[in-house]
Order: sequence, then structure tokens, then C-alpha cells
Amino acid sequence: MSFFQRLQNSAFTDWFLGSPSIWAYPTVLTLHTVGMAILVGASFVINLRVLQVSGLIPLHRLRPLYRFIWIGFTINLVSGLILFVTEAGARVVDPVFYVKMASIVVALALGGVVKRRAIDRTDAPQVATVQTRSLAAASLVMWTVAIVAGRLMAYLTK
Amino acid sequence: MAEFAAWVESTSISKTLFGISWLWPASESLHFVGLCMLIGGAGLLDLRLMGLFRGLAIRHVKALMPWAIGGFLINAVTGALFLIMQPHLYLSSAVWWAKVAFLGIAGVNALFFETRLAVPALAMHPDADTTRTMKVIGAVSLFSWFAVLYCGRMLPYLGTGN
Repeated sequence: MSFFQRLQNSAFTDWFLGSPSIWAYPTVLTLHTVGMAILVGASFVINLRVLQVSGLIPLHRLRPLYRFIWIGFTINLVSGLILFVTEAGARVVDPVFYVKMASIVVALALGGVVKRRAIDRTDAPQVATVQTRSLAAASLVMWTVAIVAGRLMAYLTK
Repeated sequence: MAEFAAWVESTSISKTLFGISWLWPASESLHFVGLCMLIGGAGLLDLRLMGLFRGLAIRHVKALMPWAIGGFLINAVTGALFLIMQPHLYLSSAVWWAKVAFLGIAGVNALFFETRLAVPALAMHPDADTTRTMKVIGAVSLFSWFAVLYCGRMLPYLGTGN
């Protein structure tokens, strides 16, 4: 039996998925959704501003939003790891899971470049360059792909 | 309520929609994207009303509202689809009614802001602190939207009637 299959078949998994307590699976799943709302919600706002939606907000004033992005990301990294462990054997062979992981990595990387170019510099122009705007648009799309892939994991694979 | 749910499920529109195999997962995906648009846009305005994010003018943050409202409309439409396809999952669930109640609170709260607070709030200096009433309105809004999310996500696990 593979390492991931053993993880999935662990006593922790039996308790986590089998427990009638709402504090086990339902709460971790809900935390994953709360984290998503904070992480992707804040990312949407920053990327939309870079795309000139609410274009009068001074770009560098959005910096405190990155604290929310990290809080949301941390909630989802921890809750996501727990959810992964309990389905590890199924997920490591699930292409949709890899689409989700890859789109999160790309969305975060693009978001990091947008932050350095448009948000971190107080002297940055208030209208981002076409290139930076394209990166923000791509980041928005990748977050959306991550959400859709995450939801579809429940349907496309068992 | 159970009879009403059974009647809705017996209609051809309910059967037809529920028979489209991709419609439910597609609507769920959109429902999640819509919630991020709503909580992102409305959440920043709520935080500013609570006195955080000084330096942002409330009138400038409010330009995000069409996106928040767009997210809400996506979720209203997809939510209505869930309700038409499988009404018994919702109408018999106390958690779903709690979700509806929090939606109502968020709605009345937003209406109060628009009719009573919007004019002074939009005129405020970007660095200005907000009034106590604005802080309460912002906090109630933020709490209500997360309560809506919580009730929705916990719906299959918390005291469902099925």
C-alpha cells in the first residue's frame, strides 16, 4: 500500500470522516470556505483595483489587505492539509486536484509580482502598466479556476 | 412546507433542471466565486466603516459595490436554482432558515446604510475616523455575510430535516 493510501486509511481519517461531531469534518470544511472567502475576496479586490475598478483608491493604501490574504491562506493551508490527508490516496491520482494546486501556485506568484510592481511602491503610478494589469487579470482568472476545480473535485473523481 | 417542497419537485421545471447533470456542480462553482466577489467587495467597505483602512475614502471603496452586488446576484440566481431543484433540502432545514434570516439582516442593514448613512459617509475625508453608528453597521454587515456563509456550508451537517 502506498504512503498516501496509508494516510487515507489511518485511524485519524476514520475518526475525522466517521465522527458524528460537527467539530470534525464539517468544521474543517467550513473553515476552508471561510479562508477562501478571505483569501480570494481580498485578492479579487486588489486585482480589480489594479484593473482600475475603484481606480481612485491609492494603490499602496491596499497593503493592509495582504495581512488578510495571509490569514486566509494560512487557514486554508492548515484545513486543506487535513482534508488532503483524509483523502490522500484518492487525491494524488486526481488530475483535478493538480489543476487546483497549480492554479493556486500561479495565482499567488502572479499576485506577488503585482504586489511588488503596483502596491509596495508609494511612488508607483496610480494607473498600473498594461503588463501589470494583465498579470492582475491572470491572477483573477487563476483564483477562479482554483475555486471551480476545488468544487468539481467532489464530482469528477471519487 | 414538506408538501410545498414535494409539489415544487413534482413540477416539470424542477425535474428538467435537476435532470441536467452538470447544472448542480456548475451552480455550486459559481456560488463559491460569487461569494468571494461579495465578501471581497462588501468586506472592504465594512472594514472601512468599522474604522480600519484609514486613507481609503469611503466613496472610493464604494466603487467596488457593483462587483459585490454582481456576486450577490450570481448567488441569488444559483441559490434559486438549488431551491427549485431540491426544495426539501432547504425548506425543512432550520439552518437554511437561519441563513435566510441573516440575509435579511444584511439586507436591512445595507438599506439603513444607503438611506441614512451614505450621504455623510461618502463625504468623509479619506483619513477620518467613522462614527459609532457606522462602525456598528459595518460590523453587523461583515458578521451577517460570514454567518450566511457558515449556515450555507454547514447546511448538510447541522440539523437538517432530511
